[in-house]
Formats: sequence, structure tokens, C-alpha cells
Amino acid sequence: MHIPFCLSKCRYCDFHSAAASPAVKEQYVAALVRDLAVSASRAKGMTVDTVYVGGGTPTVLPPDVLAAVLKTVRAHYAVSPDAEITVECNPGTYTEGMFEVLAAAGVNRLSIGGQSAVDCELCALGRPHTAAQLAATVAAARAAGIGNINVDLMLGIPHQNMDTLAYTLDAVLSLSPEHISAYGLRVEEGTPFWQERHTLPLADDDTVADMQLAVAARLTAAGYVHYEVSNYAKNQYRSRHNLRYWLGAPYLGFGPGAHSYFGGVRTAIPRDTGAYLDAVERGDFRSLVTERHVLTPHELREEYVMLRMRLFEGIEEADFTARFGVSFEEAYGDLSRLIAGGFVTRRDGRIAFTEKGMYVSNTILSEWLDFSL
Amino acid sequence: MAKIDQAHIRNFSIIAHIDHGKSTLADRLLEATKTVTTREMEEQLLDNMDLERERGITIKARAVRLSYTAKNGEVYDLNLIDTPGHVDFNYEVSRSLNACEGAILVVDATQGIEAQTLANAYLAVDADLEILPVINKIDLPSADIDGARREIEDVIGIPAMDCPAVSAKMGINIPDVLEHIVTDIPAPKGDENAPLKALIFDSYYDSYLGVVVYIRVVDGTLRSGDTIRMMSTGQTFQVVDVGVMDAFGLAKREELSAGEVGYLTASIKSVGDTRVGDTVTLAENPAAEALPGFKAVQPMVYAGIYPADGSRYGDLRDALEKLRLNDAALSFEPETSIALGFGYRCGFLGLLHMEIIEERLEREFNLDLITTAPSVIYEITKRDGEMLRIDNPTNYPDPAEIDKAFEPVVRASIITPTDYVGGLMDLCQDRRGEFVDMKYLDSTRVELHYKLPLNEIIYDFFDALKSRSRGYASLDYELEGYVESKLVKLDFLLNGDQVDALSFIVHEEKAYARARKIAEKLKDNIPRQLFEVPIQAAIGSKIIARETVKAMRKDVLAKCYGGDITRKKKLLEKQKEGKKKMRQLGSVQISPEAFMAVLKLDDDN
Repeated sequence: MHIPFCLSKCRYCDFHSAAASPAVKEQYVAALVRDLAVSASRAKGMTVDTVYVGGGTPTVLPPDVLAAVLKTVRAHYAVSPDAEITVECNPGTYTEGMFEVLAAAGVNRLSIGGQSAVDCELCALGRPHTAAQLAATVAAARAAGIGNINVDLMLGIPHQNMDTLAYTLDAVLSLSPEHISAYGLRVEEGTPFWQERHTLPLADDDTVADMQLAVAARLTAAGYVHYEVSNYAKNQYRSRHNLRYWLGAPYLGFGPGAHSYFGGVRTAIPRDTGAYLDAVERGDFRSLVTERHVLTPHELREEYVMLRMRLFEGIEEADFTARFGVSFEEAYGDLSRLIAGGFVTRRDGRIAFTEKGMYVSNTILSEWLDFSL
Repeated sequence: MAKIDQAHIRNFSIIAHIDHGKSTLADRLLEATKTVTTREMEEQLLDNMDLERERGITIKARAVRLSYTAKNGEVYDLNLIDTPGHVDFNYEVSRSLNACEGAILVVDATQGIEAQTLANAYLAVDADLEILPVINKIDLPSADIDGARREIEDVIGIPAMDCPAVSAKMGINIPDVLEHIVTDIPAPKGDENAPLKALIFDSYYDSYLGVVVYIRVVDGTLRSGDTIRMMSTGQTFQVVDVGVMDAFGLAKREELSAGEVGYLTASIKSVGDTRVGDTVTLAENPAAEALPGFKAVQPMVYAGIYPADGSRYGDLRDALEKLRLNDAALSFEPETSIALGFGYRCGFLGLLHMEIIEERLEREFNLDLITTAPSVIYEITKRDGEMLRIDNPTNYPDPAEIDKAFEPVVRASIITPTDYVGGLMDLCQDRRGEFVDMKYLDSTRVELHYKLPLNEIIYDFFDALKSRSRGYASLDYELEGYVESKLVKLDFLLNGDQVDALSFIVHEEKAYARARKIAEKLKDNIPRQLFEVPIQAAIGSKIIARETVKAMRKDVLAKCYGGDITRKKKLLEKQKEGKKKMRQLGSVQISPEAFMAVLKLDDDN
């Protein structure tokens, strides 16, 4: 579920989100609830294993409103008793009692946009919070009984260097989150950063590569498993929701800019809150979806490789052959050069990227895959 | 139309340094004689190729007939023959001048005499022309009319105190120029009854008419239906039409006789059969000897031209063939490069000619090109006595087989304000120039003479000259001959594999600096690959420079969640698409743009 609202727009952000008045928020939640209810028939007979409320910043909505949305989900969908229910949260939006209300509504995972523990870096990003607010948010969530916390970190922030990154890692590790995501900053078109891209003191690719390696080394040493390009988890705390994307499991998305993958079809709702409100109000749910793409068998195979290879566990060769009727090497050619170069491993019946291979996997994937067929 | 006797014909050219206002003056003469009205005029009518108009230079000669009623009340036919304004086309200029009795020498009142002013003036003197100086741009605040007059008298040695001072741009004193043409330039003195001798000074291909040949009839008379013979080749053709050129095209006449300038058509298929400088005579009553001065133009600069998209090789061939219909100086033959695939080795008169051809191929035929570094023709004597002419580094023989190597040198004239003499002498020295002499044109300007290897001139010499003189120095050169030289072939290896398209021939002394420079450029332009790429520059088996393209370390997208999947697929598809355009240089992939960036001649040292 997408909540397209924020306290303020961060300088690098190209997500569909904006600050909005209470009236607009109210109107939006009403539409979202209606959409959830009407769409429920599509998921008849299926169990919902994960729920993810993202944005934007879902926690700009009052906690009882979020609780009401989750109640709607439970009322119309077969949410499994041990479902992973995640809400994204900006440390600047925390208000007292918030997490108690959410926990009572079933939220058992919190994903916090921490980004950095260095205030001047947060300021450079235009984040509306401080490092101290991150620590307070984590403490409050734990006190409310939310036992699975993710902290997002960002690499390649203007002014960031290896020392400030090490400081951030120490600070975040002292909070003991169950899960950490570390993303390289991307300067996207249409953002303030894009306009300033020629003068921003951005780290080059080599420095960001060094940062990635430093993060991996530090977090691995601290007992986290690096299970996906940007994701680290303790024990059993891999993000069940995000794994669905990479393992090709179906999901339904709600709200402007949300994507669905259901019955072998990828669909998207335009990133236009006004249009979404109009369509739901008219009851014209068909017009919500403007992008619709039925995957061909060949595309299914290419997606399988593209997405599963993001995971360090990689691809099970026997599963690949069983699904697609050809072996991996028949499909994509000899791997010996990549194995010798230290980019790919092949052991225990699995093909996977090494740490080094993972960071240059676009080049390797673009050699293998062909989506134009 | 009544036949005009030779006393009422004046044939003249306009010569000038670039930007001194030659084309603008030509336009004003057309206007003033009502050959065209102002309203009909397109700016700079004579330069009718797009490229010419953009660059403000005349690439090919053009001719036009003006009808002028002089102060004495008599009507004169004035034939204006425009000339190319660049050193690459010196031979064409000299032939155009030979079709005239006089030349207007335009001198910019703010700039004075420049290298091409002098070079063109000397050509005109060599052709025995009456030179009529015209001082232009007198409307500009910095115009120094008397200074320009003195300079013309002192430097060229022709009287200039009474010459017209005009502003072509503002249309000031134009009638004065016309009157001087009639009074100062001699009438032609051909023999109408002698066997036909007509000088070819230009030609172009027209898809309906075949080749249209521009001629100056020196002796005799030419009529449609005549059978003509080209005296250099002996080829004969039957004349379809003869006529004259007005401002808008061809106007048929019954005949052209001694003294006249006009055109002929004779269903000729290729401009290669109508060589500039050749003499046209009649097959039945041929002239005993041809007009002097004919030579077949020889390309001076060669380069490999390849389509960036290998599948367009056929289109490139068609385009070159079309261009050659109109450009006898362009030569090409197929060549193959391991790195670049199928393309053509093309010969050009000079760098400007090469640029023009490249631009026309790209613009008019919509081709993306990869061009190798330009090369001159080297002469090699092998130990076994064999003589080779090398226009392609790939054919350079094994050094062990070489007895002596020779390279072309030019005699260069540089005119510059005195402030820049030091810097320009350093430049010439650095380019292996041999100082000949230095003359003060006046207290502020100097003419330098150097002998320079042509291969140094085609290596961005002109840009370096301009940058070291803040644009004030001007250059002119002509081929002097070949001198023995210590040449080496420089090869480049990527990942241990030699890349043929990057090889070039260079003087031994220059090899190290050039090798380092190109190796650095390769490093900067080759995209990082999964594996480290060593770059080496070598003479034979000796490595003289090396660089390394570090392995790529990061290209993955950090995020790939539900909404990112479609986007990521598109990105991978685009990356794959880009790869298809890449050229495989050994085991390394490089885009056509990067390849061109490596070969771009843009250094100043």
C-alpha cells in the first residue's frame, strides 16, 4: 500500500509523495480503503502472507487511521496469523503512543528511514529529522513490542566519507536492528539533486564501491547475513515481503504509483494522486491500471534470473532446468570465464554472484538476458 | 542576343583572405548590375552550398555573368569567377585565375594583408593578371584605409593610392569598383578564328544534364553539336548545349567565342572526365598544344572512413560515389580493419576537404562515421630496392626491410602580429619546422617562412596556430617535396591485442609524447569493463607507453522492489542495445563515440 504523503520532500527523492493537508489525507485514506475492499475479490482463496505500508511516509497519517486501514485489510483478506506486517516510518514523524496503536493493529515490523547518523549528512539530503530522533524512534518501537526493526542507510551522501560512514554504522549497530538496508544514492531526474548534480560533492563510483564493501565487512562481522544486494538480516529476519519480489511471488499494490504482479501479469497505477481519487470515487477501478503487461514464457525466465540473482543464494540449477526446460549454461552460455574472474560461484547445485560479481551484476546480466525477444 | 566583341568583355576573379568580405562584395556587384534585385537576393548568393554558407568560405568555384553599362554609355559583359578561399584548393584557385585577365584583391581595412591575401596575390601575379585592389570594411570604426593602401604598395608592390575603398556590407562605393573593372582590367585578346582552346575551371554533376563544364574560351569558337576533345585524356564528347551563367542558372546561347566565359554540356557522366585545368578543343580542328598549367590533382591526406553501424557499409559506398560525381579530387577504395570492419580509405586535398566530405556524408546521407587519424603519403625505399607509397599505416613495412623513409614537406607562410612571433616560432620548432626567413611587413606584422612536415600540419597545427596567436595569425602552404625522415609506426594494444585502426606513422622524436597522449586518451575513453584492460603503445615489439583501465567495481542498482522491476528490465535492455553498437577491439568493447574521441586531434603541444 502506498501512502503518497511526507512531512516534506527530500532533495534526492523521486518517489510519488508530497506534503498534504489533513483533508486530502482523509480523502485519500477513504479511497484506499474502498479500493482495498473492492479489489479483495481478486485474492479470493489466497492467503496474505505479508502486508507492507510504504510511501511516502505512512506515519504522517495519525496512527489510528493507519490502524483502521489495516483493519480493512484483515476484514477483506485472509491475512495469515503469522503474517509479516511492515510499516515504513520517518524518525521525524514519531509521536508518543504511535507504536502502541500500530502494534495493537498487528504491525510487527517497522522500517525506519534512518539514512545516516551524521546530522549534517541528513541535512544535505533534506531529511526532516536528526540522528537522535532515529535512536528515540527505535527505542519507542521496541518499548511498544515491535520486535523486528529495519533501518535504511544511504551510501554516497554528499560530504559522506569512509570515516563518517564508520560512525554511522557504529551508531546504527548500537541500536541492534534486526535488518539493515544500505542503498547507494542515485541522483534521479526531476529532483533538486539532479539540478545540482554538477556542483554536488558526490562520491564517485569507486568510493561508493569502497563504502559498499566497508558496510558488508562491518555488518557481516556484527553477525548480519548479506542476503541481497543492499540487504542485511540477523537470523530469521530476512524481509519476507521483499523476498516475494525477488522470488517471483504474486503481490497486489494499492495507491498511485503502486505495482502489482498477479497471475503472470505486471500492472501499474499512474503516479497521480488526483487521478486515483477520481477513479475510485467514480467506482471506475478498471481505469486505475494504465500499464498492463502479460509476461511471455521467455520473459518469465529472464525475470527469474534478473531477480533471483540479486540474492546471494542465487539460482538452484535443477529448479531452473525444471522450470524452463534448458540448463542455465544452455540458456546463457559458458560460465567459466566469470567463475575464473571471481564474479560467479557454482557450488552445491547453485549459481550465484560473489560479492565482487554482485556489484557489477548489471553488466553481467545485460550479457545474459535479452528482454527484447 | 547580340554578339559582344572582346573589347566589351572583362573576366575577373575576386581574391581575398578568409572573412575579408569577398562573397559580400560579389553580392553587391550582382545587385549593382541588377543581375539580381535586392529582394531576390539570398545572402551571399555565389556560395550556394549550405556548408559554404555556414563556414563563410567558398568550396568550389562559381561563375556568373554581369551586364554593366559603364559611364561611357557602353554595355560590358563582366564575368565574375569566384574562387575557393582555402589552401586545400590552391590548384583550383590558380586555374580559375587563369580564366581571367584581372583580379580584384579585397583587403580588409581593419586587418590589412593576411597570409592568404599574399598567397592569392602571388597566384594572380603568376597568372599574369592585372590586380585591382579594393579596400573593404571602411564602415568599421577601426578601419585604416591609408594604412591598407600603404601596405598593399609596400608588401605586394602594386599601386593602391587610387583604388576603390568600399563597404560591401553597407553598399558604399560599389559603382566605383565596377568602373575600375572596365577601365583597369584588360579585355581578352583571343583569336576567334584559331582552333578552339577553352580552359576548364570548374564542373559539377547534374542528374539531368550530366556534367556541366565551366569554361573560358581562350581562342576559337564553340557551338552546340561540335565534337570536342579533352586534351589531357583524348576523350571526345558531342556538345549538347553551350551558354552562360546568370545569377540563377544556365542560359543557353548558340555559341561561345574567344574571350567568353560560359558552360558546356555533352552528356558527360563523371566530373573525373572534366579535369580542372584541362583544355577543351575541337576533334576536327584541334589546337596544336594545350593551355599550360594542367596537372591532375593528387590527394595529400588519407584517412579510413567507416560506418559506425557496420550494416551501413553499402550506404557509405553509395554516398561516396555520389559525392565523387561532383568532386574529382575525392578518391576512395575499400579497406578492411579488424577493429572497424568494412570501410573506405579516402584521399583528400587537405584537412578542410576531409572535414567537408565527412560533414556532407553525415548531413546529406545521414551516416554516422568513424574516421581514423589522417595520414599523409610516405615514400619508402626498401632494402631490396622496391619503392612504396604508403597512405595507410597498416601497410607500413617491417622496419628491418626499410632502407630509407621519406615524408612530404610544405613551404609554409605565416603572417602574424609581432607579439606572437615567439610563440609561433616555438610551435614551428616543436613541429619539426625548419626556419627559412622572416620579413617585417610593417612595424606590427611579420611574415614567417618555415619548411614543415605535412604530417605535423595535419596534426591540429592550424588550431594550435590560432590558439597561440589569439586567432590573429594566418597560414598558407604549398607542397615542396619529400625529404628523408626517421619515421616509425606506432601501434596500440588493448589487452595484448593490436588494434589496427589506431596505428599511425610518426617521426621518431614525436613517438613517445604521442604514444603517451593517445594511451591516456584511451584510458579516459574506454569504459571500465569487468576485467582490467592494459593499454600499451609499441614500436615494433618495444613497449613505449602504458596505461590501465581499471576494472569496473559497481554498476548494480541498489533497489529493486515491486515498482522497480519494469524499470530495471528496460535498463538492462538499453544496456544491451548500447553493447550492440560497441566495436570489439580485441577483447575490449568501445563505443564509436569513444573511438572518435581518442582520435580527435585537439592538443596544443
